[in-house]
Amino acid sequence: MRPSLQRHRSVLDFALSSLLRRKGRNLALTAVYTLVVFVLASLVFFVQALKHEAGELLEHAPDMVVQRMVAGRHDPMPASQVEAIREIRGVEEAEARLWGYYYDPVYGGNLTVMASPDPTLLPGSARIGRGVARNMRVAEGDMVPLRGYDGLPLLFTIQQVLAEDSELVASDLVLLSPADVRTLFHLPEGLATDLAIKAGNPRELTTIATKIVEKFPDARPILKSEMLRTYEAAFDWRGGLMVVVLASAILSFIIFAWDKATGLSAEERKEIGILKSIGWESGDVLLLKFWEGAVVSLAAFLGGVLLAYGHVFFFSATLFEHALKGWSVLFPRFRLIPALDAYQITVLFFLTVLPYTAATLVPCWRAAMADPDSAMRS
Amino acid sequence: MNRPLISLLNVLLLALAPTLWADTHPAAAKGLVPKGSCAVCGMHVPKFPDWAAVVTFQDGGQAWFDGPKDLFTYLQDLKRYAPKRQAQDIASIQVKSYYTLKHIDARKAFYVLGSDVMGPMGKELVPFATEPQARDFLKDHRGQKIIPFQEITPATMKALE
Repeated sequence: MRPSLQRHRSVLDFALSSLLRRKGRNLALTAVYTLVVFVLASLVFFVQALKHEAGELLEHAPDMVVQRMVAGRHDPMPASQVEAIREIRGVEEAEARLWGYYYDPVYGGNLTVMASPDPTLLPGSARIGRGVARNMRVAEGDMVPLRGYDGLPLLFTIQQVLAEDSELVASDLVLLSPADVRTLFHLPEGLATDLAIKAGNPRELTTIATKIVEKFPDARPILKSEMLRTYEAAFDWRGGLMVVVLASAILSFIIFAWDKATGLSAEERKEIGILKSIGWESGDVLLLKFWEGAVVSLAAFLGGVLLAYGHVFFFSATLFEHALKGWSVLFPRFRLIPALDAYQITVLFFLTVLPYTAATLVPCWRAAMADPDSAMRS
Repeated sequence: MNRPLISLLNVLLLALAPTLWADTHPAAAKGLVPKGSCAVCGMHVPKFPDWAAVVTFQDGGQAWFDGPKDLFTYLQDLKRYAPKRQAQDIASIQVKSYYTLKHIDARKAFYVLGSDVMGPMGKELVPFATEPQARDFLKDHRGQKIIPFQEITPATMKALE
């Protein structure tokens, strides 16, 4: 082994044994440190995974959605506009969609009811998301009543419970035949909720949007990129909210760690004095303290990140699930797909490990510079 | 090495492992898949799938380009870019139609010059399958001229510089 590496190894050895000598104090410090890293890393992983999930789901979303605005509010639009929009150069597909929200007073859940273009979904039958099935305690083949606009119940047979992989967004979904959606919401024939548009070349979307607004001044085109941005902003906002909640905890840790790291006890000062008097140089002492700090902060960082990984991706972030996800009463129950970002782990590393290691060095440098004799006497 | 150090290194490796499985989405295999680097400028073609043009030779060999501009540069000076090939060896030439992003026959396409849409190498000859499409594009994107394949000359290329 090369001599320089050998030196580091010996110093590291010494650092570990000196940490073990003050077992209680160092274990407590590492535990609190780990906890803080764990909370921060969980938050970062969770928001990242949610964004990833939303991005994945929006991949299948239409390139553009066109709504009609009446008095500043979203209103049903004539489905005939589809024809005019389809003729715009660059539009590959345009489709009128029928959907709405339905509040279920019995189970206290908000459902998204949508017309399915699939002709195998016959009038009188429904496909529902897992959240709906769970909440209403129904399975395939059962009947569900939905209250129509006039207060009369409409009965639907559940044809299928939708697959789990889309649960984050499809949890509260109810798919019906177009005729049933019209009856349920009292939407006259010829009106649609909005239009979904697919462009051959995404670069043309802004041109298409401009033309749509020229043709129909009351239309509001919403691009997929805008939807993605909104989702991201929503998740960032939720993440930011948690940071504010946790800020006091994190701050108190920082003060605690700063105190532990920057202040040297008389015992430590003495130890440094002894080391210097038996021939250690200031550089060696600093190396020793650097390794001590690095061991504590690295162990805490790795432990915290691993725990956070398990918490978010194996236990679906049980600790702050309710604060961070769910649009309504129907909480989706799902396992997040691990989506890690090397950039974020690096940021986390630099925010936790580096400051701590650096903070431990300054007072030691001062002690190491002092005369060993006076250090031992003090 | 002694125990604590080894276990520390192990933990380090374990923690870094997930970041190494970067997820890569393979491009959907639809028709011709852009590959290699541009035969004229050397740029990586798969990075610009919306513009990728290709010349296929009779022996199955292919030359890819990151846009129609480089394709025409190549065709107009075959001696320089492919000394071993002749113009009659070319089996097909394909460009991506702007509105559909699908490959079309370059010889039957219409090109719009001087529009505000930029390709990977700046000003571009934007290809269309039909003349009405080219006319609409010219109007929307302030193009200057619609040129069929046969009328693209070295002088046209000058205007793109």
